[in-house]
Amino acid sequence: MWSTIVVSSLSLGSFYTLVALGFALIFGVTRNFNLAHGELVVLSGYVSYWLWKIWAFPFLLTFPAAILISLVICLGLERLFAHLYAPLELNSIVLSFGVAVVIQNSMLFFFSGDYRLIRIPVLSRGFHLSGFYISYTQMTLLGSSLIILFLLYILMYRTYLGKAMRATIQDKDAAALAGINVSAMGTLAFCIGAVLIGLAGPLYGCIHYLYPSSGQEATLVAVTITIFAGVGRLSGIILAGWILGLAESFTVVLLGVSWREMVSAVLLLTLLYFRPHGILGHGER
Amino acid sequence: MTTILKNHHGFFVFLIRSFFIIICISLLVFRIGTSFAAVIKIGEINPLSGRFAKNGIEIHQGIEVAIAEVNAKGGIGGATLKLVTRDDQSRPDVTISRAEELCSWEKVAALTGGYVDSLVGPIAAVSQRYKTPYVASASLQKELAAQKNPYFFRVSRLQGFVEPLCEFITKRFKGRRLAVLYAATPGSTELAQDLKRCLKNRGLTVRLMEKFRPGTPDFTPLIAKLAGMKIDVIVSGGFTPDHLLFIRQLKENKITPKAYIGPFGIAYESFISALGNDADYLYSTCAWNPGITTPGTEKASASFVNDFQKTFHRQPNTTNMHGYTSARVIIAAMQKVLDNRRALNGENIRQALSKLDVALPMEHLSFDPNGDPINYRHVIVQIQQGKLVVVYPPDRASGRDIYPMPTWEQRN
Repeated sequence: MWSTIVVSSLSLGSFYTLVALGFALIFGVTRNFNLAHGELVVLSGYVSYWLWKIWAFPFLLTFPAAILISLVICLGLERLFAHLYAPLELNSIVLSFGVAVVIQNSMLFFFSGDYRLIRIPVLSRGFHLSGFYISYTQMTLLGSSLIILFLLYILMYRTYLGKAMRATIQDKDAAALAGINVSAMGTLAFCIGAVLIGLAGPLYGCIHYLYPSSGQEATLVAVTITIFAGVGRLSGIILAGWILGLAESFTVVLLGVSWREMVSAVLLLTLLYFRPHGILGHGER
Repeated sequence: MTTILKNHHGFFVFLIRSFFIIICISLLVFRIGTSFAAVIKIGEINPLSGRFAKNGIEIHQGIEVAIAEVNAKGGIGGATLKLVTRDDQSRPDVTISRAEELCSWEKVAALTGGYVDSLVGPIAAVSQRYKTPYVASASLQKELAAQKNPYFFRVSRLQGFVEPLCEFITKRFKGRRLAVLYAATPGSTELAQDLKRCLKNRGLTVRLMEKFRPGTPDFTPLIAKLAGMKIDVIVSGGFTPDHLLFIRQLKENKITPKAYIGPFGIAYESFISALGNDADYLYSTCAWNPGITTPGTEKASASFVNDFQKTFHRQPNTTNMHGYTSARVIIAAMQKVLDNRRALNGENIRQALSKLDVALPMEHLSFDPNGDPINYRHVIVQIQQGKLVVVYPPDRASGRDIYPMPTWEQRN
């Protein structure tokens, strides 16, 4: 039983990571608090579902369409955010809340209020490994989150573009003084964020379910993980996801399901008290 | 500018006076027009957006069919029924303001709609304040009926789930290891507690009682715990999305309980369509479905299905029927008031509701002194090859249940 729980915790953490990555990147670079993030994840899931279900597209081929739609909306959103004045975080919350409501109601109108699942038969199979069972869904989550993080790492730490983005995350004004086009970095962050959202959406429909208002849950997960990891610290996201996944799963088994949210909240508060810059953060208190 | 005003002072006074008189006449005509237009307003509040939107829209559709059905026959007492619909956005605070608006501004004769007790409760409170009868379409919490609000009625009640479930589990699964899971909502919690008490009285022990938050993202640890305890029968008071995720994760982890019973949110075409073959062998309860109706109401049931399909181009489900039933009840009470040549006001409609006795497809409806429906009772169904088969009670059974459910490996 314990091995099953560890594997499921890590895959849950990876799921959290996939959902949170786009949000964390956009927030880190632009300081725009995008409350419509979850709705965008769900919307790209719906795009994938529709292509897969109605036009019988192979599941993998639905990803480009989901990314494209996400990209178009994110760029529109970036234009909207560009018109905001300080305090940016607060104004972006208000703006994105409105956008979230619009997207939610549009999804309700176009996709109806029925719950939708993307059912890929191969994902419900699995294999035994050294005495414990691991499903392909769990493998997909673990694998995809690690691969995406690796690619992001290459981009952020091995390219000039990544260096410029990291500089923008650390200090926008200093980055601008150093000749970095901060505005272009913001657009780029939205583009990469959109790609991450477009990747997370179809997987969300594949392992969770799609419903117009289920984006709120996804946004909450993204915000929690981003705070847990530390703003702008992409490397901490998977660690935060795994820790949260492990804490939640072991709580369910040892204390009961009703304690799950309580333990997560206590964990988050404790972390914020002792490490206000996040799990891998090392800033001044 | 000042000179113009001075020179044309008389003209401006005339203009303002004329404008004022026109406004007064318009308002008077509007009031008279509405008084003599022979329209009876019925207010409806439902979650048409937000997390309960699916259910709210389904209830709304049922209500619409009931109103259209009566209007097509000439309305009641020569008056046309007008449905005034408001969206509570799945939020209790919005529900209160919408109910206030309908009662005070729109002056509706009665209220209906409402899904889940957290949204029904506020409407009930407002209805009492304005002495406007309210027939809730989907409500279960016992406390709501116990508040002795004379203007509150509902077409569903918790015991309608608990009694048949308890009887069925006792007869079918005696000696099996049982677990009862429930969502952290008033209705689900009360269902679990009442069911546990009833099973205990009949000599059955529940091995595990677990509460979870609706919308929990991962059930795998709980599934592992249930498998570790060798639970045979899982009763889950979760809702449609919880069942979808639970079954999906049972399959992913290759764990098959001998039976899975979900009283809420399983006996739906949309659920079966979402899960496909994986929905087979699941048990649920059902108050009404196109093939499952109260004996003696087959014709009325078929008529509702026909009307619904003409309007919405799909088969109605039990939630649609809850909306339809609540609206039909109000209409029947209003008809009774008008037949007795009494004024159509809140008090008279309330009295008519409390004495009502009407046979509808979902139930033979009459209310107890608390406004609870006396005869509301579900049947136990099992999904077999994508269809709902009634397996209990024996006098309404359309087939035998399959127990234990085959393992996931056996199904492929």
